Amino acid sequence: MSLHDSASSAAGSSSGSSSSLSSSKPPPSSLQQDIVRHLAGAGYTIRSSDLPQVAQRLERLETAMGSSPADFFQLASDAILYNPSDLASWVDSLLSEFTQLPTCCFEFILAPVDNAWTTAELHEPRVQQNITYEQQSLDRQLTVVTAMEEDSDIRLVHKLMACAECVQRGDFSSATSLIDDMQGLLARVNTVCGIRKVAGHFIDALSRRIFLGIGGGSVDGCGSAFENEILYHHFYEACPYLKFAHFTANQAILEAFDGHDCVHVVDVNLMHGLQWPALIQALALRPGGPPLLRLTGIGSPSPDGRDSLREIGSRLAVLARSVNVRFAFRGVAASRLEDVKPWMLQVNPKEAVAVNSIMQLHCLLISDPTLNSPIETVLNWIRDLNPKILTVVEQEANHNQLDFLDRFTEALYYYSRMFDSLEACRVQPEKALAEIYIQKEIRNVVSCEGSARVERHEPLAKWRRRLSGAGFMSLPLGSNAFKQASMLLTLFSAEGYSVQENDGCLSLGWHSRPLIAASAWQAMPEPGSCVSCLE
Amino acid sequence: MVQNHHRGCHHQDHQEIVRENKEKRPKFFINDHVDILIEILKRLDCRSLCVAASVCRLWCTIARNDSLWENLCFRHVSPPPSSLRSVVLALGGYKRLYMGCVRPVQSRLGRVRRASWARDEVQLSLSLFCVDYYERLGGGSSSNGRLVGESSPSSLMFLCKPVNV
Repeated sequence: MSLHDSASSAAGSSSGSSSSLSSSKPPPSSLQQDIVRHLAGAGYTIRSSDLPQVAQRLERLETAMGSSPADFFQLASDAILYNPSDLASWVDSLLSEFTQLPTCCFEFILAPVDNAWTTAELHEPRVQQNITYEQQSLDRQLTVVTAMEEDSDIRLVHKLMACAECVQRGDFSSATSLIDDMQGLLARVNTVCGIRKVAGHFIDALSRRIFLGIGGGSVDGCGSAFENEILYHHFYEACPYLKFAHFTANQAILEAFDGHDCVHVVDVNLMHGLQWPALIQALALRPGGPPLLRLTGIGSPSPDGRDSLREIGSRLAVLARSVNVRFAFRGVAASRLEDVKPWMLQVNPKEAVAVNSIMQLHCLLISDPTLNSPIETVLNWIRDLNPKILTVVEQEANHNQLDFLDRFTEALYYYSRMFDSLEACRVQPEKALAEIYIQKEIRNVVSCEGSARVERHEPLAKWRRRLSGAGFMSLPLGSNAFKQASMLLTLFSAEGYSVQENDGCLSLGWHSRPLIAASAWQAMPEPGSCVSCLE
Repeated sequence: MVQNHHRGCHHQDHQEIVRENKEKRPKFFINDHVDILIEILKRLDCRSLCVAASVCRLWCTIARNDSLWENLCFRHVSPPPSSLRSVVLALGGYKRLYMGCVRPVQSRLGRVRRASWARDEVQLSLSLFCVDYYERLGGGSSSNGRLVGESSPSSLMFLCKPVNV
């Protein structure tokens, strides 16, 4: 029971408190007198004869507040101040406020309890008679409180589905009204936890789709490269997904480079180059000494003329020099991955090549029949490099379905799990910026179509088929990678992360639902070369 | 008066005797024997070593010596390859490695540690340490996309925060 501090000082009300002057009632017990004295010391006047009634009404008030939080906020904002120093009348006035509120707030409460409530109020409560009956209804009301919170979550999800369905049908007017409903619902409940936070982002994405159109997202969706880098960096800090991706890929690359003296890594999207320091250090310490390492980083050209690729390259070179690894860096600026040609990478035939793609290949899955399929183009030039290993890390989700509603449903559950996992992060502002990073993905998946939609995630099974069809065969990741990934996860403060091994591929998930999957591939030998072996 | 003087003489004699005895016993100050001090400090754990560093200037200088921290990092592990030292020193030294990475990694993984993991823990700590060094490199130059005012690398922040058990 929370007693609000009353502005009226204790002095004024303590005088008339402890005396119970009505002589017709039985003399108050010493316990009751003590309670009255303590309450008086806190500034509340109450007659000890009223104590049982007031206690019981306070309990009813508490359940009434608990079962209709929305109306309670309205109550609080109406700002009628009752003087709580006279406890009995204060509780009575508040209770009467609650009973006068419209009955819509009780629609979630089960019917029998509803009857119990209204009958109890209509007949002026005779406390002694109704105590046992109300005790039962109190218990049921208490369980209803938690059911109601879950209930509003379920209502929110149903409304989201209904809205997505309207959008798919083209019924924008009902979609808009549903969006208004949902925003009203969100405004009244606590949006800090659970599916509600994600729901806010999905509602935003849906309204963008409706009002800005399906291409409208692309203009805003890019942001500047600078902003994207910052968001990516904070996403790296806040949760283990990118760290898992980097460490697992590095382990696979390290094992593939075993025994080679000239190695060449092609990174399909360099970003800040956060993956490579660990590989450089591991190569520096490998038994037999470090190889000559060449790194080719592909990235989009920076609009303001900064040569960001070169800056990253020189930082990596400084690091490599400190640990005595011979290192050479080359940057390839290309706005689209399919524009890169193998000759730009200058691969030496004697060196072992590794190609690394962290969450990049899915951007190429645009299925436009007029263009050459970009994914095939890219996989072909990767194949032409004859890599010793191709590491692919992708989100484990099916966000590339043709049907909008299916895509929406899948995205809702995927991103709510991701947000759940982010809850454990305690580091601000990393957490907030990581959420914005994820929000951009959500926006792209839900509100964009055609070439604007770049977040076309596909599950591991589909990638397996695609890569096998393009001439690659699976390379199992090994127990070292698994051990390292498990250790890495143990370091993170949330207890819900789990690593699973799936036919040679590792996936990181939240509560055993995989969210990101890492796999390794190598080029299948050409059929021609097999013939020459036989001769 | 005569009695007092007598007593004074006896007292003086007594003092001289005590002083002689003291001079016969060698005075032992640990600070005179730095090699013994180092041997002792080498065997301390992290917390005791930090406490020892606040005893006096000599102890502080010794406790800050990187080789003591190297000992601490590899105490439970088989001796590392000789190339490791140059790498770690280049990346910032053993004390930084221990405080920033090895200690939090060992304490977090301590719950589930198996004997074979000790070496892997050190490997993981090294990788994280390297990423941290790389970020520190970037902190100096302002033109690489970090927010203004955010100068300290934060990729190890997740290790500093208390574990949510």
